[in-house]
Amino acid sequence: MTRKIRRAAVVGGAGLCVQLAAALHWTPATFIVSAVVGAPLVIAGAVMFLAAVWRNMKEKGAV
Amino acid sequence: MLPSSVIIALAAGVAIIALLFLGAGVLSGNTVGRVVLLVGLLALPLLLSVANFSYGVHESSRTHFCLSCHEMKDHGKSLFVDSKQALAAFHYQNRLVDRETVCYSCHKDYAMFGDVRAKLNGLRHVWAHYVAGIPKKIELYQPYRNSNCLHCHDDARSFVEGVAHKPVLAALTSGSMSCLACHRIAHDLAKVEAGDFWQAR
Repeated sequence: MTRKIRRAAVVGGAGLCVQLAAALHWTPATFIVSAVVGAPLVIAGAVMFLAAVWRNMKEKGAV
Repeated sequence: MLPSSVIIALAAGVAIIALLFLGAGVLSGNTVGRVVLLVGLLALPLLLSVANFSYGVHESSRTHFCLSCHEMKDHGKSLFVDSKQALAAFHYQNRLVDRETVCYSCHKDYAMFGDVRAKLNGLRHVWAHYVAGIPKKIELYQPYRNSNCLHCHDDARSFVEGVAHKPVLAALTSGSMSCLACHRIAHDLAKVEAGDFWQAR
C-alpha cells in the first residue's frame, strides 16, 4: 500500500513540478506543456492513489 | 513568469507532496493520516492544477501573451502608429477596448464557443510557430466577421446615426457588406516600417 501511494505521489508531484516550471518560464509553448504534460500527470497520480486505496479496501474486505 | 501567488501555491503543493511521500508509511497506518493523504495527494494537486490551468487560459487572452512571439511584434507596434484610419491603433489609443486584452477583444469570436475557438486558433499559431513554420504574410484564417465589430458598435449611437453607416446599416448587420470594405486598414504595418508612431511625439 505504502509503495503504491509513494508511486502516486511521485507521479502527481512530477505533474506539479512541470506546472511550476511552466509558471516560472511563462510562454505559449510552456503553457501547452503545462496543460498537456503537467495536468495529465497530476490526474494520473490521483488515479493511481485512488486505485491503491481501492485495492487496499478490497483486500481488507471493506468493499 | 506568472504572478508570485501562483508560483508559491504550486511550490507549496510540491513541498506538501514531498512530505507526504516521506510520511506515507506512518500516515497510512491511522485514520487521520489516511484523510491527510486523501487531501494531500488527491484534492490538493487536482485543485492546484485546475486553478493553474484556468489562470493560464485567462493569461493567454492578454496582449503581452499574444505579442510574446516575435512574428507578432509589428502587429503589436501597429497599436502605436499615428493613424486615425488604422482600426487597431484607433481602438487602442482611444481606450475603446481594454488595453490588457486588446488582441483578444477584436479577434475573439463572440458567438457560442467563441472562447474555445479562439484558444484552438491559438494552438494553430503555436503549431505554426514551432512546427509548420511562420507564413511570410500573416493573415486571418477566415474573413473578419462583422459580428466582432457589432458586438460593441451594434447599438452605439455614433454608429447607428453615422452618416456613412445609415445607408448600409442593414447590409452591415446581415454581413453581406464587410465593415472592412470602408475601414480598410486594420493594422498599419507601413507606418510601423516608417516608424511613424503616436507616442514618439
